Amino acid sequence: MARLELSNLHAEVADGDEKILEGVDLEVESGEIHALMGPNGSGKSTTAKVIAGHPAYEVTEGEVLLHIEDDEFGEDIEIDEDQRTWNLLDLEPNERAALGIFLGFQYPAEIEGVTMTNFLRTALNAKIEEREELFEEEDGDSDEDEAEDEGFESSPMEGPADEGEIGVAEFQEILQEKMEQLEMDERFAQRYLNAGFSGGEKKQNEVLQAAILEPSIAVLDEIDSGLDIDRLQDVSTGINALPDEQGTGILQITHYQRILDYVEPDHVHVMLDGEIAKSGDASLAEELEDKGYDWVREEVYGTA
Amino acid sequence: MSTQVHANLTEEQVRQISGELDEPEWLTETRLEALDALADLEMPDVIRTPGRDWTNLHELDFESFVDPLNAAEDKDQVGPADAEVLSWAEAVAEHEDLLKEHFGSVVDLQENYLTALSTALFSTGTVVYVPEGVDAEDVTIRTEQNSQSLFNYTLVVTEESSSVTILERQSTGQKQDEQYYSGVVEVVAGENSSVQYGSLQNLSEEAYNFTVKRGDAGTYATIDWIEANIGTQLTKTEVSTELNGESSETQIVGAFYGHNDQHFDLDAKVWHRAEHTTADLVTRGVTDDIARSVYEGVQDVGSEAWDTSSYQRENTLMLSDESEADASPKLIINNHDTEASHSATVGQIDQEDLLYMTSRGVNPRAARNMLVEGFFVPVFEEIAVDELREDLEELIATRLRTRD
Repeated sequence: MARLELSNLHAEVADGDEKILEGVDLEVESGEIHALMGPNGSGKSTTAKVIAGHPAYEVTEGEVLLHIEDDEFGEDIEIDEDQRTWNLLDLEPNERAALGIFLGFQYPAEIEGVTMTNFLRTALNAKIEEREELFEEEDGDSDEDEAEDEGFESSPMEGPADEGEIGVAEFQEILQEKMEQLEMDERFAQRYLNAGFSGGEKKQNEVLQAAILEPSIAVLDEIDSGLDIDRLQDVSTGINALPDEQGTGILQITHYQRILDYVEPDHVHVMLDGEIAKSGDASLAEELEDKGYDWVREEVYGTA
Repeated sequence: MSTQVHANLTEEQVRQISGELDEPEWLTETRLEALDALADLEMPDVIRTPGRDWTNLHELDFESFVDPLNAAEDKDQVGPADAEVLSWAEAVAEHEDLLKEHFGSVVDLQENYLTALSTALFSTGTVVYVPEGVDAEDVTIRTEQNSQSLFNYTLVVTEESSSVTILERQSTGQKQDEQYYSGVVEVVAGENSSVQYGSLQNLSEEAYNFTVKRGDAGTYATIDWIEANIGTQLTKTEVSTELNGESSETQIVGAFYGHNDQHFDLDAKVWHRAEHTTADLVTRGVTDDIARSVYEGVQDVGSEAWDTSSYQRENTLMLSDESEADASPKLIINNHDTEASHSATVGQIDQEDLLYMTSRGVNPRAARNMLVEGFFVPVFEEIAVDELREDLEELIATRLRTRD
């Protein structure tokens, strides 16, 4: 089990003093589906980016904590009692990923010249390697660890630097299986990462990556925007599989009720002006659809 | 630098070089004329903006520096049996008529100070002759410089409907504090012939390098260049094609990676001089540390060049704040029946791209390396010579991995 806890989170744009988050409190647990809704500019995407560690935002107050239980990463990784709560704000984005945080981007980057297969296998191996480092720190002194790191990249015993825990053949199998589940064309695997992908293909690819990296908590930033109905159903199937098959906790950021018909949330949160203004169950999303955000504003602040 | 004839360079030296190669009188005279001309010739053009030359070719006092009688190299010149791949001395002995016809026919040997210097002093070279209808793959020319200065000359002649793939590499064997490599390459592509000329320059980072490579494409001929620059502290190169024959084509693919205080000044030029000609210029490069790159690309469409297609793009990726990259793509059109494009970009690694990769677990250094290698891929994809592409990929990967 894992639990992501945002408490009193304040953030602003790093090269300005524009405040965006003004005290966000939110918890997402393994296996749960949360929908985070709200009008443009309310701070939804910023929340996602701060969780992932985007350098453009500076956290001025509050915490982002990840709580994990001792069996979160299986039998191979032993998690001591003092390693069960992590302050994500102290960690680099890749370290956060190693601890099981995944951000599905609203606008996934197009990376020329790097095939999806190459990238995803590198990411998967890097995640495994980084996780081992994070949880091995207690053993031995740090000099030894460093020597080990260097050895890994160049040692002929370990093979070339681009080999890793998961070899090419094994990875191909994993990739093929996940792509079939998502009904993705296998040719995607050899295409450059998102380069020339349609909007829908990019979103599908985000879900595929989540399926392969098996995150503890996945934050999906407007994964539904710009999707036609067929693609929306495919993507939704992929999202539902994350909690069902891997126990992933989902924080789904969306403008629209539409996707919530396919990915039914356990909890719905409404964000206004950088805070969670109202939380409820799935019926809250339907109510929002009817009454709009001003209704929440009025109800919470007594003004529209 | 001053361009008066220096006491270091004498007619006797030139005669000695020519004599040792057993050259006929007309060649000796050509060299002596080039020596004479030094006094009046200027350095190759570099781009100038007020107050600044983009490349300073005056750092080295060439005349006092060069040591033409002590040239030393390790050379391989290999090719298939049905094409002739000859050393300069062999070519002089066996193909004087060929040399008489083509030597200096594409590159003006007195075009500037450095070409004239090369003409007067070259002591080594290669002549590749491909007879009619012959397809010659895998011609390799490897030059390892072991002396303070080395002047190299290459001539490629392809007869009708023949083809050749040439891979040329330059490297440094015995390194010195300062070294100078100079190369002139002329390609004469006969009717309906095809020349692919790949060059991988990986000289010592103390070396200076001046090269000009120019081709004359006949009717329906194709000349494709690959120009890769990794080594030297200062490189000034021109790679160019004159599309003189109807329906001739050229492609110029460039790749460079400068770090430390390396300086690359790279020109890619094409002259459309006949109907239905096509040119495609693609260069990508990286600058790091305090390295500097200057790129000048010229597409010159002549008034007789009806139905021209001409495309040019150049992209430079800067890995450090202190490196510099300038690009000047130029398009000169004197015939309206032309489809053309030209573009150049200079940028740094996109932080959003980097975050996308690190957020999936890849560490920042590995992510950057993947982005840089990925940046070169569109150029790699244009390199049809596998060996050259693999060597270049390896050199780039190695350089990236030595970086923090």
